Amino acid sequence: MTSLAGFLEAREIWEIPLAASIVSGALLGALGVYVVLRRTVFVSAALTQLSTLGLVATLLVEEALHVEAEHLSEQLAVAMAFSVVGALLLGAFRPRRVPAEATVGAAWVVASALVVLGASRLVHAAHDLGGIVFGNAVAVPVADLVAIAVVAAVATGVHLLFAKELAFASFDPETAGALGLRVRLWDAVLFLTLGIAIPPTARALGALPVFAFLTLPATAALLLRAGFRTAFALAAAFGIVAAAGGYVVSWFWETPTGATMVALAALLAVPGAAWRFARG
Amino acid sequence: MSEPLVALEDAAVGYNGRSILSGVRLTVAAGDFLGVVGPNGGGKTTVLRTLLGTLPPVAGRLYRPHPIRIGYVPQREQVDGIWPFGVEEVVLMGRVPRLGPLRRPGAADREAVLRALGRVGIRDLAGARYGELSGGQRQRALIARALAAEPELLALDEPASGMDPGAELATMELLAGLQEGGGPAIVMVSHRIESVLAVARSIAFVDRERGLFRVGPKAEMLRPDALEALYGRPVRVREEGGRSFVVPLDRPASGAAGEGGR
Repeated sequence: MTSLAGFLEAREIWEIPLAASIVSGALLGALGVYVVLRRTVFVSAALTQLSTLGLVATLLVEEALHVEAEHLSEQLAVAMAFSVVGALLLGAFRPRRVPAEATVGAAWVVASALVVLGASRLVHAAHDLGGIVFGNAVAVPVADLVAIAVVAAVATGVHLLFAKELAFASFDPETAGALGLRVRLWDAVLFLTLGIAIPPTARALGALPVFAFLTLPATAALLLRAGFRTAFALAAAFGIVAAAGGYVVSWFWETPTGATMVALAALLAVPGAAWRFARG
Repeated sequence: MSEPLVALEDAAVGYNGRSILSGVRLTVAAGDFLGVVGPNGGGKTTVLRTLLGTLPPVAGRLYRPHPIRIGYVPQREQVDGIWPFGVEEVVLMGRVPRLGPLRRPGAADREAVLRALGRVGIRDLAGARYGELSGGQRQRALIARALAAEPELLALDEPASGMDPGAELATMELLAGLQEGGGPAIVMVSHRIESVLAVARSIAFVDRERGLFRVGPKAEMLRPDALEALYGRPVRVREEGGRSFVVPLDRPASGAAGEGGR
């Protein structure tokens, strides 16, 4: 087990990844309130896999073109394109004639299979796949932290400016539409914020922690009977605790970082679940 | 007759360009109370959605001489009680279209919310959680939200669905009271004709299976031929306690008219 002194001495190694984890935890935790309340948890799982597929596709193209250096911005752009298109198709403009579970499940399983197939063709970058899927957060470049911070600022701004429209269109789309709100537009805006949030956080933390942060902190907040607005603050706080705590714990106990974050996020939901269970 | 607020002119209604009912001619003017009646799955909600403009007519025209403020009460089951909104927050949503993007609700909006809650008799529940209300209280909260929009047209989809008779009667009395002293025009969809008879002044019968769309004043729609077209069999209208009940009969109602039937 690493000592505290050793941890503090290694600050240059962990400060960027820890900062990226904290911002990601807060952003995904807050967005998760909509994910959970709209009952679209598995949409976020599918989007995370689509984003990962975008990363793998870019790595494949880079290897095919014999590009030596990694092009982070191009990888991110492709992952974001996959995620945003997926968010619009699975979330906002979902075909109503096919059951939601079928389209979301198909997207998740096909994206997952293509990630495995694509990764099997990778030669140099294959070792990165474990980190991409299950979480790494050990080596996060400054550019990734900047990308996460920009996306977090944009998403926060959109949600603060259009909070009442996003809430109304999500809570009761039929009435919102009858009263003149453009429900599809606001759905698209909501899922766009989700679509842009997933790729940079997934590249930094991995797909598993991202999916966990989109579900567990919001669930923990809602189990504690938080009101709608309070739930965002509480879920963001839980996301920060799970991300930062998971990072630090994994450092000291030398456990896999992403899985440790997920375990901590799940632990944070226990008090609310126990309280609900006790109340019957 | 006053200028219509909204009208469907020889419209065909349906989804994805496919008509389920055609020949819909319907006008709603200020002060009207229209009940839309028909069997479950008969196309009532489709007609209502088309009238409100959330569903484009497959053919014909939706006519609105000028923009109107709409209040809408959806079927209660469509509003998910999992959302952790307080009653006041839910009712405040009725003000969202008036505010437009980037504007936050102000004192006047909160005043309108409390006024609306007072009109439906649940002002004391303003701070309660919507998801923890009883069915009747939720219905009143949704009606309050519609009233908070200060609507010229109030549309309700099955407002008494799933209610016990007492709660249903209370809801109907509440709706009738809304028009005292000049309230909004009301369009109410119900599969129970008795709900509508208590409050509506005109009635539309809708049944896509029979290709039926017929609208007229209540007295005209209570005539045997109109009711038989809706029920596909003879019916008798029974008056009791000041309320009307429609009783479908097994055999031709010859002679029933002389026993209080119409």
